[in-house]
Amino acid sequence: MRMNVISVKKAVKTYRNENSAASIRAVDNVSFDVEEASCFGFLGPNGAGKSTMMKMIYCRIERDLLLNSDISIFGLDPAKTPLKIKYLSGVVPQEDNLDEELSVVQNLQIYSKFFGLTKKDASGRIDELLDFMELTEKKKSPIRNLSGGMRRRLVIARALIHNPRLLILDEPTTGLDPQVRHTIWQKLRDLKEKGITILLSTHYMDEAFQICDNIIIMDKGKKILEGTPKNLLKDNMEKYVLELIKVKRNELHQFIGDTGKVRVDDLREPPNLFSDNFDTLRIIADKLEDGEYYLRRSNLEDLFMKLTGRSLNELQ
Amino acid sequence: MNYSEIKPPSIANRIYSVWFRHYRVYIKNIFSNGFPPFVEPLIFLLGMGLGLGRYLSKVDNMPYIQYLATGLPLASAMFTSAFECTIGTFIRIEFQKAYDGMLTGPVTINNLFTGEIIWCGTKGAFYSSAVLTVFILCNTLELTPGLILIPAVGFIVGVMVSPLSLLFTSFVKTINTLNFFLTGLITPMFMFSGIIFPVSNLPAWIQWIIEVFPLVHAVNLVHALSAGSFKTRLIFDIIYCIAFTAVVSYIAIKRMEKRIMY
Repeated sequence: MRMNVISVKKAVKTYRNENSAASIRAVDNVSFDVEEASCFGFLGPNGAGKSTMMKMIYCRIERDLLLNSDISIFGLDPAKTPLKIKYLSGVVPQEDNLDEELSVVQNLQIYSKFFGLTKKDASGRIDELLDFMELTEKKKSPIRNLSGGMRRRLVIARALIHNPRLLILDEPTTGLDPQVRHTIWQKLRDLKEKGITILLSTHYMDEAFQICDNIIIMDKGKKILEGTPKNLLKDNMEKYVLELIKVKRNELHQFIGDTGKVRVDDLREPPNLFSDNFDTLRIIADKLEDGEYYLRRSNLEDLFMKLTGRSLNELQ
Repeated sequence: MNYSEIKPPSIANRIYSVWFRHYRVYIKNIFSNGFPPFVEPLIFLLGMGLGLGRYLSKVDNMPYIQYLATGLPLASAMFTSAFECTIGTFIRIEFQKAYDGMLTGPVTINNLFTGEIIWCGTKGAFYSSAVLTVFILCNTLELTPGLILIPAVGFIVGVMVSPLSLLFTSFVKTINTLNFFLTGLITPMFMFSGIIFPVSNLPAWIQWIIEVFPLVHAVNLVHALSAGSFKTRLIFDIIYCIAFTAVVSYIAIKRMEKRIMY
């Protein structure tokens, strides 16, 4: 059995509002374990508490120190030995924070000093990482000349400079084009192969599906579901979705009258229809014009919608 | 593997890394960044020496221009430190997110700001050396052995003003609010710390207020160094500089921790 790199028990983080007595529970009793060399994902909309949860793990903020709550990273407590945990982890924050005026290689050199790398070791490692992240040609370019995708890859390279055992990425592909996202996913899979444990947050269901072994779905600071992406869908969701584009809820009866069991969601207008039987939905779809429907497999986005009544990408 | 055995870099290494980051970013644009400390004193010399200086003969038994040239290196150190830790720090917190980047490495908030304060000292030493060099080259200073220590006092000024600026910045939500500090405290400190004119002729109650300013104690030091005359009160000045730095740094870093580690 592989060991757990991260073990979180009933983590809580409360933000106090300076101007009022009210306080906000950004993370509320969240527990989970992460196995070594696996990829673990936090899925949820903005404001779900994903970043806060990750910041507690990479020692950027302190959890509420409650008696029954505990966080252990490599067997260490972030509240007691943050330096050791930071030394073992690489972090890709949500916002890029490279030094704009410096070049790619200078940014990496500066950062290597924080881990006590000698100039020689750093320079070898930097070449290796630039090669891995396909940035060698940009080695001498100033940051401001890099595209969003290149910056993101550079921040990931930076997080890997000291050969961390754990890589934490906060929304690594938000705002990037599909091609870059696929490149980054491939790199993350490569890293996992090498035995690095990966923790990431995302609000893209396909991202979680593509690279995560386990995910937890969060909403309003709470964990709502945990499992492998596949099982979560299998256990909680019909297999297929028929997205209606034109037909309104009150016109539905003309189409589904005799087609057996179909679940109609009560959130969207026009609504979506769900079923485990593809043919059932196919029969309905055949009564519609091309372009009036979209028949597909269900995904985590549908699951999230079903559980919370809200879309994953919705701003809160 | 037992991870509790691993050793993160030493505290000296951690502080140095922060210092090095600031240094590297600063020297990237050394020509534009180095322009002010070399050119400002020339402007001052022209304005004060050719203009105002004609109307003044001697101050504290030395030509006015020499009096001014002794203190101005410290004013330069103060300004650079104040800007670095107000506008500079604010931008690093709010816009660049530079601290977020550094804090993902094995450094504490304490290491982070200690490194920054020492960096301000370094800048203070560099700025005061630059100004001093220009004044010496322009033959406005009588060469005394004590002058060689002025950059060291510049370092002290940088180190004193930095936590004071950080403390103020820790409360600031919008960048314009920094004007209250820069115009409300730094400018009067420049005017009333014995650089432009001796404070000894001011009314006693004003002098008492001025004693609180950290800069005035450093100015006392350089005047003594340049004249080669040392009074016992200088011991008080030195103690004040050390105590001020220690106390204000402690509070400023605590405040910054509260602001950043949310």
